Amino acid sequence: MSDAEEAKATASSPSAAYPMAVDSLDDEVSSPFQCCVCLDILYKPVVLACGHISCFWCVHKAMHGLRASHCAICRQPYVHFPSICQLLHFLLLKLEPVAYKRREMEILVEEKAADVYSPQFADQLELEKLHFGNGSSSKKFNDCRSGDFERSDLSENCLDHTIKRNISVDDVSCSLCKEMLYQPAVLNCGHVYCVSCLSDLSGEHLQCQVCQSFHPGEFPNICLDLDHFLEEKFPREYAVRREQVQHKKAQCQHVNPSPNSVQKQKPMAQVPSGGMDLWLKEDVSDVHVGVGCDSCGIYPIIGKRYKCKDCKEAIGFDLCEACYNSTSKLPGRFNQQHTPDHAFELDESHMLRNILMQRDNRFDIPQQGLEVIYVPSDDDLHDHENHGDEGSGSEEELR
Amino acid sequence: MTRTENQDVQDNIPPAADTAPSAAKHTAAAAKGLDGQSVLKRLQSELMSLMMCGDPGISAFPEGDNIFCWKGTITGSKDTVYVGMIYKLSFSFPTDYPFKPPKVKFETACFHPNVDIYGNICLDILQDKWSSAYDVRTILLSIQSLLGEPNNESPLNTQAAALWVNQEEFRKMVEKLYKPA
Repeated sequence: MSDAEEAKATASSPSAAYPMAVDSLDDEVSSPFQCCVCLDILYKPVVLACGHISCFWCVHKAMHGLRASHCAICRQPYVHFPSICQLLHFLLLKLEPVAYKRREMEILVEEKAADVYSPQFADQLELEKLHFGNGSSSKKFNDCRSGDFERSDLSENCLDHTIKRNISVDDVSCSLCKEMLYQPAVLNCGHVYCVSCLSDLSGEHLQCQVCQSFHPGEFPNICLDLDHFLEEKFPREYAVRREQVQHKKAQCQHVNPSPNSVQKQKPMAQVPSGGMDLWLKEDVSDVHVGVGCDSCGIYPIIGKRYKCKDCKEAIGFDLCEACYNSTSKLPGRFNQQHTPDHAFELDESHMLRNILMQRDNRFDIPQQGLEVIYVPSDDDLHDHENHGDEGSGSEEELR
Repeated sequence: MTRTENQDVQDNIPPAADTAPSAAKHTAAAAKGLDGQSVLKRLQSELMSLMMCGDPGISAFPEGDNIFCWKGTITGSKDTVYVGMIYKLSFSFPTDYPFKPPKVKFETACFHPNVDIYGNICLDILQDKWSSAYDVRTILLSIQSLLGEPNNESPLNTQAAALWVNQEEFRKMVEKLYKPA
């Protein structure tokens, strides 16, 4: 069945979704950066290892609380919730300031209602925004809809201006070669590199050169949406970069046939406690349903789970064993005010194990309590029982 | 991080249709759910793109004032036993759509290996293979192609599955049981 293709086809026709009857979308200009889940401009974009982009909340809400998640577009499985790609975030803020700010307002309302927040970034562009005169007050986005229309015409003009003036090669440069990104790939930590630069990195694990965190799982794919954008926006620079990279590649092959390609094909070694291999384990009783690691982003946590005792946020702050034992502790994924002096405790609740045992004993499942975090269908529970018994089914799931 | 899901999970019953002006009602319904506003926006986007693209053989529209309940139609493709038949379907969207699939049922009786007598459909993308990137349009197209290419391995209607090999007889049954509304 060509469903995935269908979905892709729908997702990649932003123009169809934009001329909306909704007043608030009047300010929209058609963008190559549309989220295929909310059908709006990407907000706080997250890039999966397969190279597909979605909004922070669109990825997180679609993740499976019990087992590996799948990319909404290509179904590639993944278990780590990547950090927001700040390069794209600031790029979009510059590209489509009006639409992006509107999204910010909308999401903030939802976040307030739920009392859960996405990471907040220092708004370096607040000042720049004033340059093209549509940023005086955030209230503008809420009231006087009719006025919005005229203003959006105005800001669109400004926008054209802005793109030419403000988006520069510096906004889209590789953290490693410092040149414009060519065939960009995004690591789990959200930092962006040229694929060719990444494959030059040696070492057992793929490690981010900016934040030093390890990239778990597969070598990331090229983020094609960003690549196409760069090719269109900077055709001259892009052509130069292509030539450079190809030239370099050819030289490498000349000197030493195929070291580059070998390295590129080499499956990245798993970071301790890292990735998919955990899903092949027979014991599923230590899966922490609906609980993710705030450092590496693995979701759900499998094995030991360390809970922060001092974070007051409803969402809590949790670490997987590997991240608990490592020294680098990134800030929380949901803007928690976690500091290094907070104390941790090992979580001993064994919720899933208890549920499975209760099921085996033919007790009623306490559905009510479970629904708070996740509503497992009967199939889910069956699935996992079977995995526990045979340990063969999980392999199937990954394919 | 521990995910605290939408409190409305149990509250899958869409708000009852009333006669209030639709805009006001939508806001009221939306304010209730944590994701209300975004579900609403997404459904409006889908409706708009469905109306713009005008795919032949499929259509869908909200039922009355309630944007969480849609009615759709599928026309049987040519070269299938369903050619010329028009089937009505109902869509019921959960408040956490598109992270959960809508409930889709045939309203018109449909003789098909993967459709039972109540109109329930057995289609993987409406269950475990659901992706938040799917929409009403992809669902309708998938069901349309399911009509011509049933999965006879896991039939809901065993009689239909058994009869599928005999397309002539199958067509007769389809016609016999077809009761357009």
